[in-house]
Amino acid sequence: MVAFLQLLGITVAVFFLIRVLPADPVARLVGFNASDEVYNQAEASLGLNQPLMKQFGLYFGFFPSEQTGLLQGDLGRSWVTNENVLDEIIRFFPVTLELITISFIVATLLALPLGMFSAIRPNGLVDRGVFVYGLMAGAQPEFWWGLLFIYVFFVVLGWAPAPLGQLGPLTEAPETVTGFLTIDSLIAGNWEVFVEALTHLWLPVMTLVLILSGPIIKMIRQNMLRVLESDFILYANSAGLPARTIAAYTFRAAFAPALTLVGILYGFMLGGAVLVEKVFSLGGLGQYSVRSILQFDYPAIQGVVLVITAFSLLIYLALDVFHAWMDPRIRT
Amino acid sequence: MTARQEHPAAAQRNILLWVGLAIVATSLLLAVFGEVLSPYSPVMPTGNISTPPSAQHWFGTDATGLDIFSRVISAPRTDVTIALAAAGLSLVAGSLIGLVAGFYRGSLSELIMRVSDVIQSFPVFILAMILVALSGRSTFNLVLALAFLYTPIFIRLTRAEVLSQRSRTYVQSARAIGASELRISFRHVLPNSLAPALIQASVVIGWGILLTAGLSFIGAGVRPPTPEWGLMISKGANSIILGEWWPSVFPGLAISLTVFGFAAVGNALERAYR
Amino acid sequence: MSAPLLDVRDLVVTFPTRRSEVTVVDRLSFSLESGEIAGIVGESGAGKSTAVLAMLGLVRHGGRIAGGEVLFDGRDLLSLPREELRHVRGSQIAMITQNPRQSLHPMLKIGRQISTAYRSHNQATRPEGMRKAVSMLEMVGINDAERRVTAFPHELSGGMAQRTLIAMALSSGPRLLVADEPTSGLDVTIQAQVLDEMWDTVQETGSAVLIVTQDLGIIANYCDRVLVVEKGRNIEDAPTRKFFRAPEQDYSRRILSLQRQEKLPEPEESHGSEQPLISVQGLGKEYILEGGEVLTAVSGADFEIYRGRTLGVVGESGSGKTTVGMTLLRLTEPTTGGVLVDAEPIGEIPLSAFRNYRSRLQVVFQDPFDALNPRWSVHRLLREPLDLHTKLTAADKRERIGEIMDMIGLPRTLGAVTTRQLSAGQQQRVSIGRALITDPDFVVLDEPTSALPPAARAEIITLLAELQRKLGIAYLYISHDLTTVEYLCHDVAVMYLSQIVEHGTRSQVFEDPQHPYSRALLASHLFQDPDQRRIDREIRETLTGEIPSPVDLPTGCYLASRCPEAVPECRERPQTLETLPDGRKIRCWRITEGDLVW
Repeated sequence: MVAFLQLLGITVAVFFLIRVLPADPVARLVGFNASDEVYNQAEASLGLNQPLMKQFGLYFGFFPSEQTGLLQGDLGRSWVTNENVLDEIIRFFPVTLELITISFIVATLLALPLGMFSAIRPNGLVDRGVFVYGLMAGAQPEFWWGLLFIYVFFVVLGWAPAPLGQLGPLTEAPETVTGFLTIDSLIAGNWEVFVEALTHLWLPVMTLVLILSGPIIKMIRQNMLRVLESDFILYANSAGLPARTIAAYTFRAAFAPALTLVGILYGFMLGGAVLVEKVFSLGGLGQYSVRSILQFDYPAIQGVVLVITAFSLLIYLALDVFHAWMDPRIRT
Repeated sequence: MTARQEHPAAAQRNILLWVGLAIVATSLLLAVFGEVLSPYSPVMPTGNISTPPSAQHWFGTDATGLDIFSRVISAPRTDVTIALAAAGLSLVAGSLIGLVAGFYRGSLSELIMRVSDVIQSFPVFILAMILVALSGRSTFNLVLALAFLYTPIFIRLTRAEVLSQRSRTYVQSARAIGASELRISFRHVLPNSLAPALIQASVVIGWGILLTAGLSFIGAGVRPPTPEWGLMISKGANSIILGEWWPSVFPGLAISLTVFGFAAVGNALERAYR
Repeated sequence: MSAPLLDVRDLVVTFPTRRSEVTVVDRLSFSLESGEIAGIVGESGAGKSTAVLAMLGLVRHGGRIAGGEVLFDGRDLLSLPREELRHVRGSQIAMITQNPRQSLHPMLKIGRQISTAYRSHNQATRPEGMRKAVSMLEMVGINDAERRVTAFPHELSGGMAQRTLIAMALSSGPRLLVADEPTSGLDVTIQAQVLDEMWDTVQETGSAVLIVTQDLGIIANYCDRVLVVEKGRNIEDAPTRKFFRAPEQDYSRRILSLQRQEKLPEPEESHGSEQPLISVQGLGKEYILEGGEVLTAVSGADFEIYRGRTLGVVGESGSGKTTVGMTLLRLTEPTTGGVLVDAEPIGEIPLSAFRNYRSRLQVVFQDPFDALNPRWSVHRLLREPLDLHTKLTAADKRERIGEIMDMIGLPRTLGAVTTRQLSAGQQQRVSIGRALITDPDFVVLDEPTSALPPAARAEIITLLAELQRKLGIAYLYISHDLTTVEYLCHDVAVMYLSQIVEHGTRSQVFEDPQHPYSRALLASHLFQDPDQRRIDREIRETLTGEIPSPVDLPTGCYLASRCPEAVPECRERPQTLETLPDGRKIRCWRITEGDLVW
């Protein structure tokens, strides 16, 4: 319920925000030198000549006889491409989701042992290495790292393909089922395309992993450390429980909160991979949002905002359910 | 007694603090004197196009013949200044709003927190793009947009601290000797609640630099030919496939180091505080 | 003579700090015979807890055992192979700790935790382990153990959790039980129940016990021997009776100073025509909880306080004694009733104008570190009341601050330091100074000693008594520690679940308590006197069960569900505070109507 209100709040806020800011989407479309007549015609065709509240009502679908809107599941048409925004987003969304999901899996697999080990031996060699790395990776210009990787692995070493999209220019994409290239190629049984998709993915994934694993390691380490220093682990030791049981106790208590934090980060990344998509010319949601924002394509901007918010709220919801299932204290 | 031998981890942290401080100091100095120190004008082409690093052009020149070294050391005036101003603004606004939201609980404070939640739950980069692109790509608008985005961080930090300070007995004690609520909130609670926000400020400056550069890289930040690290990387991105690494590597290194420096200082402050 | 059960020799434990290492346990040595009960006392931070952990070969995360031997049954535990040492822990030496709820895994049911501990040392199937858990819980006096095994730790009260821990610790029949401040978070009546259960159980199993505590009452009542630890070293080791009679070390004499002093003279009874300084009439305070439930913190409190005298308010946590104090000062507003100061109803003064009035009514809080702004110097802390209430010049203020520092026994040189650099006792002196600097008539002392280590506790009580004698201030002394109440107070009010149940002079309440709750409270209190041990009494008067919730109060007597003397009528009949012929007031119809005579 709160989540739904939040979604509604963001949608309404963004609707008014972009209309309050002093941008002129009409001039952007027809050019600054257009005659008043052309300008007014364009303004009317975008519906921008209507009163603000009327525009709002139309967008939300309060007047379905005139124009369908959100209530009817219609996100409107793009002012630039004249395509249905929802269709466009459905096309772009899986690209980003695929990229960040793979990156998260890799980053978590990498971070789990590192985080656990650095918690078990605080101030040890691993911990100190991880500390510096985490400090650095916490905030880094990922677009620059992407370029650096392109230079090293494509230009100098030639290990990676040109950073120009998901597949080579001559490869035909498999039939779209899920929208995820890796999965679709497997469904089509096209092994070659699958491998090619992976070769195009590994550099952007590596770039994101570099940025992501820092905070993930930190979260795992902190949670492990908190549990290891806790009274109940000390007490379990004083009761002479076997090492195996103690490890299970620790993991049980540290896992849920750590996973929650990782999940929040994941929900956040959907809009955070913009720059990496741009560098590797992956046509994902990030690219789509850059294009719509720079071209003042209001329906597209609103669509992106709506989808990203809904997605992160969905993740939070799933995390809450999971956390409550793991921890009896939250259940009550 | 035990020997006063420094633990290697502590030594490492000390080194990091000093490295961080050195980087921060350098970036601040360059923000003021960068343009004066640069050997060439950062915005006037030198006539040497796309030359690799040499004695004449330490970091080489870019595709339009601008001297990269001059541009890299002139850029802090844009990047660091924007980040500093935005962090400062959001720190002041955020801690004051946080004080109010924490000290006087009620529907107003509830509303403030809801709004902060909404702002914070949305991907920063996209919101920043919307704000800057639609309000006009100027330095001033960048500062305002960044300040707007970072204010909730400080609201949250300060409020959390105010809430915990407020329940401490010294607040009751001040009330008991007859101090007014205004005096209690500003003289007692606020000074005791600022530390987390101040520590975070250093980290936020780093984020601000990163965001400014990222926005400019994508064409939603400052306008060319302003010397700015993100713009320079964006310009160099086209030539990197041709093997010309220097136009983008040096400005990127500058961002990377600067952000690391601010993070290291922030981290050291946090450790000292705890 | 046979070898001792436990023989600790030159034990050293260190912890890393930012720059170097700090030695927390420093060449500690002592031994323990089988079946013996010994207590370790010392200031907090003296290394007591760390030392007992190290006897099990354990240190908190980060620390290390840097030297020494722990001979248990002649074997050095510290040089045993890991797996063997693990087996000694839990099966030979078991432990209970001071935060029972934090010591249980938060996500697992308690039955499973006890069973896991048992099965780690004994060949047993899961169902056998679970049966053991049930029988152990029954043994430590938990009713309804069959159902309780499925509870999660956060569903237990503190007393329940500690019993669970005892059940777990004793499940494998250890020969030594180490109890680290086992009752520090519990109320006195619950503390007595838990310690009695523990004592009875070890009498049955024949285990030796090592109790770490700051409470000399526990030592006097349950221990055969005392070890005094200071700065990680064992400075005194004596049989309990000898220790209380003739402590050898200076530190021991300091913590025992209250016992060794004469009590304050009882003031003459007649304050007859004198007007009371404070008069409380029908005071009540209710809080509306989320969901609309009403929590009654105080109901129908009536009492008077005269100049130069101290009224002690005693009771367990949640009895409303602190709320009474806070309402007197208008730090919270009462729901019903009011307070007269010199016959003036202070509730009618607007709160903003009342600020000026506050110089007359002051307060000292429980935790001095928390009660003083941590960023301010002692000087600034003491100056704030003068800034607010006087128009003195800067020089006069300095003069006054100097006077007060002398009076509270704080060297003037400490004016510039912040409270972080002071000891807990010194911090509490600053708090007292802040309260007294505006020459108040009345001071609320809200558990001023319970956050202090034993030595500072005695010193602060002595100081408060001396200041009262000198300045003629009236005190309201709120405490659960009957030892200090007995020393400091002229009159005593006993509170239970928001009500005053007995109110009389000190000697009336302490020497001849009438209300069943007062009797139980006094019987549960562990007085620091080894000649009157609780465990030696034939009938250990105590209450059964747990304190009811203050949200859903019964109609009749609030104590009826726990009172050993309750008759059916008690459950229905609302109780009023009635005056007995000897002048004291009692809230129990059976006593006031002569139905029950002790």
